[in-house]
Amino acid sequence: MKFLKLFVVAKKAGTVTRKYPFEEPLITEEFRGEIKIDPEKCVGCGACTLICPPNALTMRDEGNVRLIRYFVGRCIFCGMCAEVCPTNAIAITKEFELATLDADDLLRDLLHKRVKCRICGRPFLTTRLTKYANKDIPGSDNYADVCPECRSKLSIKNILKYRGDLDD
Amino acid sequence: MKNDGVKTLAKGSDKAVDTVLKLLKEKLSKYNVRISRAVANNLIVDVSRRHLRDVAKIVHNELGAYVRTCVGCDERNKNGCFAVYHIFGLDDYGVNVIVRTLAPANDVKVPSIADIAPGADWCELEFRDLLGIDVTGRPVYRLILPEDWPDNLHPLRKDVPYGIRPPSVKREEDTLTELESPGIPVGPYHPALHEPEYFELYVEGETIIDVRYRGFHIHRGIEKLGESKLTYKQIPFIAERICGICGFCHSTCYVMAVEKAAKIEVPERAEFIRAMVLEIERIHSHLLWLGVACHLLGYDAGFMHTWRIREAIMKLAEYLTGSRKTYGINIIGGVRKDINKEKIQNVLRTLNHIEREVKELIDVMLSVPEVKRRLTGTGILTKGEARKLSVVGPVARASGLNRDVRKDYPYLAYKYVSFKVPVYTEGDNLSRTLVRVEEIFESISIIRQLLDRLPGGDIKVEKYEIEPDKVSTAAVEAPRGEDIHFLITGKGRPYRWKVRAPTYQNIPALRPMLREQLLADAPITIASIDPCFSCTDRAIIIEIRNGKVVNAKRINIVRLSRRR
Repeated sequence: MKFLKLFVVAKKAGTVTRKYPFEEPLITEEFRGEIKIDPEKCVGCGACTLICPPNALTMRDEGNVRLIRYFVGRCIFCGMCAEVCPTNAIAITKEFELATLDADDLLRDLLHKRVKCRICGRPFLTTRLTKYANKDIPGSDNYADVCPECRSKLSIKNILKYRGDLDD
Repeated sequence: MKNDGVKTLAKGSDKAVDTVLKLLKEKLSKYNVRISRAVANNLIVDVSRRHLRDVAKIVHNELGAYVRTCVGCDERNKNGCFAVYHIFGLDDYGVNVIVRTLAPANDVKVPSIADIAPGADWCELEFRDLLGIDVTGRPVYRLILPEDWPDNLHPLRKDVPYGIRPPSVKREEDTLTELESPGIPVGPYHPALHEPEYFELYVEGETIIDVRYRGFHIHRGIEKLGESKLTYKQIPFIAERICGICGFCHSTCYVMAVEKAAKIEVPERAEFIRAMVLEIERIHSHLLWLGVACHLLGYDAGFMHTWRIREAIMKLAEYLTGSRKTYGINIIGGVRKDINKEKIQNVLRTLNHIEREVKELIDVMLSVPEVKRRLTGTGILTKGEARKLSVVGPVARASGLNRDVRKDYPYLAYKYVSFKVPVYTEGDNLSRTLVRVEEIFESISIIRQLLDRLPGGDIKVEKYEIEPDKVSTAAVEAPRGEDIHFLITGKGRPYRWKVRAPTYQNIPALRPMLREQLLADAPITIASIDPCFSCTDRAIIIEIRNGKVVNAKRINIVRLSRRR
């Protein structure tokens, strides 16, 4: 007759289910949900797109713009992107009610302007990223608006010029 | 084989490895073998194909090693050969003996060792399917690849690109069923319920006389993905998704294999946190299983209450890691999330609460006469069969084998805690249940000890280099048994990454367990190995009289089980 003790167990436990969505959901303060990218802080470096395990964050360059795209449908909510972001532009929210009837609702796009190389005219990094990178490296502004290929040519030219000066 | 000298050796230590090395040199002196040390507790024995069977006989039968798994590897761009790695584990020493055999690309054949070590039955068929390495001296059939896959396309070969979808090949015969097909459409895919599985139960009246299993319907090619697309750092996250219940075991196992190969010293604090989360996972998994078992026995009240208690553990996992499942805190070199004093207090409070509740409930549950009667004496797996098949986890421990990776191949912080490994000798469903029940309480005690001794310091190292061409293995005691990952490092990503989940080793044991059993006991017996699939609701029942199929029908076997 011991098995009848289950009634005691059940009485003690009471009702444990909640009337969600009419009551608060049962998530803790540590819960990781959808990420939010702060467009003010993002510099468009693409570090998050490299670390993202399921490729939910992707980066595409087209003409004068760079597109950082976040597709919630692929996101595994690991939060690695927030960890690598150099400007802390990515915040992990507690948002998990993400179901929708239209897959396009799951896309979050962020557009960045790209700098044009002052020598060859080809766009390369984003404007913000060049500014961000030059902030901490003094004297690098001379090369800030030159693309990597032209930069190496330019610096070789400068070195030669410098050595030529020495020869004189 | 028990060796008295073993007791003084710390399992898995350098000394133990040297002792095994000496022992192997002595035993294998007549054969032309080369024995070398690989990283950590692994020894590599290079042997020619001619002597493979002799070496396997000595290692498996004379030294008493268990089959852990075997791995095929396409090494044509390194040495022009295909390689087969048979991994044996010497539980007494905590040392892995990896027997490597090469087969040249123009004669891709290796002799089978499945008759010597039946535990290697499936993995031989696996590399035959996926790498096209022929196994001689045994019956072969297609195990992993779908029936309509073309014959000469072996997806794990390095010259096969990732993501190809070959056109379907029509075949006439069913490779599995030898008996005449009764003409009933049997859909192995059951998308609505848990996971696909397919059993053919052959019955005489109400008694099962034979069982056939066809699985791998959802083989996702994760190994190929890891070898051709992902980077070292991305794989822990996909490894966590191999299993929906013991995912953390897989990601821990993978990162440990990489850390061993690259000789990364993981901070102690990270080892403690990993071990703690592994034990939390074990508690939730065992509670889940107890619930499912109750449900299959028609005792739904028990099912509801175990899952109610389990919910507190799920919340605890979320509180500590950020997610209920797929915790995502493992990275190579450590963990991502630290714990603080407040969290420790909360964990201890929850554990006290759960311990009390589980005790109370188990007491009630096991006193229900129906539950007791249905579990006792059903699904017996003898110690001999268990040893022969190298079964793992609670299935092995319920059949009298004292095997536990946490004790035999010490890893993470388990060397700092004391715990008991429950072993029962009856080998029936009740033993397997009791092993799991006891493990819940052991896990609670382990977490308490870990939190008590939690060292300070960092939780990860960020600078490391992973050299290519290192062979490494790692094993974790998952809730279902030993989970083992085999790794050969490459450039930027693994060259070969093989995963062997515990259920892989345990499913073959269902055959001896189900024979001579009543049909209605089949669902609970199949569930008693805690398989990584759980839709035991549909099976095909083939009734045989005088060797002829008289009746075949698809029935709702769960309903049958619950009514009994």
